[in-house]
Amino acid sequence: MQIIISNSSKEPIYEQIYAQIKKLILTGELQEGQSLPSMRQLAKDLEISVITTKRAYEELEKNGFIYSIVGKGSFISEQNTEMMKERKMKAIEEKLLVAIQNAKEMNISLVELKDMLTLLYTEDE
Amino acid sequence: MENVIELQHIQKSFNGFQIRDLSINVKKGFVTGFIGGNGAGKSTTIKMIMNLLQQDSGTISIFGKSYKKHEKEIKERIGFVYDENIFYENITLKDMKMIIKPAYKKWDDKKFQYYVEQFELPLNKNMKTFSKGMKMKASLAIALAHHAELIIMDEPTSGLDPIFRRELLNILHELMQDEDKTIFFSTHITTDLDRIADYITFIHNGQHIFTKEFYKIEEEYAIVKGTLDLLDCETEREFIALRKTNRGFEALTANKHRVATIFGDTVVVEKPTLEDIMYYTKKGW
Amino acid sequence: MLNLILKDILIQKNILIIYIATIILYLMVNVSSVFIVFIYSIVFVLSAFSNDEKDNANILLNSLPYTRKEIVSSKYIGTLIFTGFFMFYTYLFDFLLNGKEVAVLWKEILLIMGLVMIVISFILPISYKFKTKYLTIFMMVSFAIYLVMVKSFFPNFNNLVKTVVQNFMTVQELQLYLIITLLIVLLYIGSWMLSIRIYERKAF
Repeated sequence: MQIIISNSSKEPIYEQIYAQIKKLILTGELQEGQSLPSMRQLAKDLEISVITTKRAYEELEKNGFIYSIVGKGSFISEQNTEMMKERKMKAIEEKLLVAIQNAKEMNISLVELKDMLTLLYTEDE
Repeated sequence: MENVIELQHIQKSFNGFQIRDLSINVKKGFVTGFIGGNGAGKSTTIKMIMNLLQQDSGTISIFGKSYKKHEKEIKERIGFVYDENIFYENITLKDMKMIIKPAYKKWDDKKFQYYVEQFELPLNKNMKTFSKGMKMKASLAIALAHHAELIIMDEPTSGLDPIFRRELLNILHELMQDEDKTIFFSTHITTDLDRIADYITFIHNGQHIFTKEFYKIEEEYAIVKGTLDLLDCETEREFIALRKTNRGFEALTANKHRVATIFGDTVVVEKPTLEDIMYYTKKGW
Repeated sequence: MLNLILKDILIQKNILIIYIATIILYLMVNVSSVFIVFIYSIVFVLSAFSNDEKDNANILLNSLPYTRKEIVSSKYIGTLIFTGFFMFYTYLFDFLLNGKEVAVLWKEILLIMGLVMIVISFILPISYKFKTKYLTIFMMVSFAIYLVMVKSFFPNFNNLVKTVVQNFMTVQELQLYLIITLLIVLLYIGSWMLSIRIYERKAF
């Protein structure tokens, strides 16, 4: 896991950490169940205070991206991936709705549309 | 959260200046930077924490214990680094170790050796040939060799070059990997604190101004710059202190959001440094 | 506590050889061994004391897990130990150099101990209260002046001292010794307690 922080940025350091870890999770570079470095280790590596990394982790936890087990450390949340899946499903649904609407406007039947979808889906594989 | 050091309502008159109703808590597992100008009472406070000075009134407890009953037990768990020389000058570091080692129950010779090598300290040279930085390292090696849980340092970086200051911070970061360790140190080189301090305790004129998480300072305090026509009796009250010139004003506020709603985009709001806070607090006193 | 006493020896290890050499020198010019032990014991204690003071070692010692009571007590107990050590050493060399078959009398031991204890009883509380910076030098110089005086003006001074000592030795009444011993011990303990009180209130 790589994190680059800027001391001269207007954005507080804990927010920079928060944003970068969040991005790593959303892009799938950090996967569910994977452990994060301890707050103290991360503080040492980044040469920043422990309380800064603590704050970043607290925010990540509050927003459901990570969870921590006392004595074991922090891990990437699993609920989080389900949430993400739900969100993605919703996005797909919306896009499909647009496709359906377009299809209806052009009088394309459901069967034709399904065929088109199957073709595109398998073609991609 | 557990406090390692608790000062409550401390009063002390000493060498012509006063500490008034000083209450400070230092949290376990964190680094607290102790700031204030010259003569603010930093050294006096540290000496009282070490029981080198006794308060006139108020209570001091370290690890939840008082010096009256548990002096040895408390000091067994403290490592100290002072601004002044505390070593016998005509003997070697090896002899110094022989004097200090039997004082501690938990002395670890291997660890001492490890740090002596890491810090490149000569064991067989008289202490008087040691530079300030070397003496500081020797103190630190001793503190680390007896597994001190609380490290108290009075101006550890004053008179040291930037390279060594950076090295010291690495050592402290290393130490803080253990969440049972606590560091409390005074400094007036505030940039040292940016990289390590979790909490900042600020005293001025023998009084406690604040103890805050470092990031909270940035959230609450701000330097505000604007034109003079924005100022009147009402708005000036928002500032701890302000500096007016013919070109405009510059001021410190402890309530960034309020200032933002009052002045909106008419002013420039900047992140303050600890030095800004110290400077304006002194001015506004 | 023992550590603190050993520390007083360790910090003086570089000048230990000077102590030993000058004792031999004084013995060769026939200075009374009672006197030598007396002076050296006091110089040794005070030199250790001023070392603590000079190098801010009081800050160090008080930051280590010692109580102030222990730090003061180590000086009072150390004094007795160092005096014993100097006594042994001086009598040994007195025997080797001057061939005197001194069966070390308990009265002589008592005399030296008594004298050292009286002087230390006064010096330590004063030193804890004020700075001792010049005390050691002062003692050394006065001893040198004493020697010059003795050699050039009062050649009989040593004999005089010896006579007084002899007289002390020949007093036969045990009760008298007992009372004097008791008084000195009381003085010593009183001084000890006073020094603790002074030291406990001290600021470093």
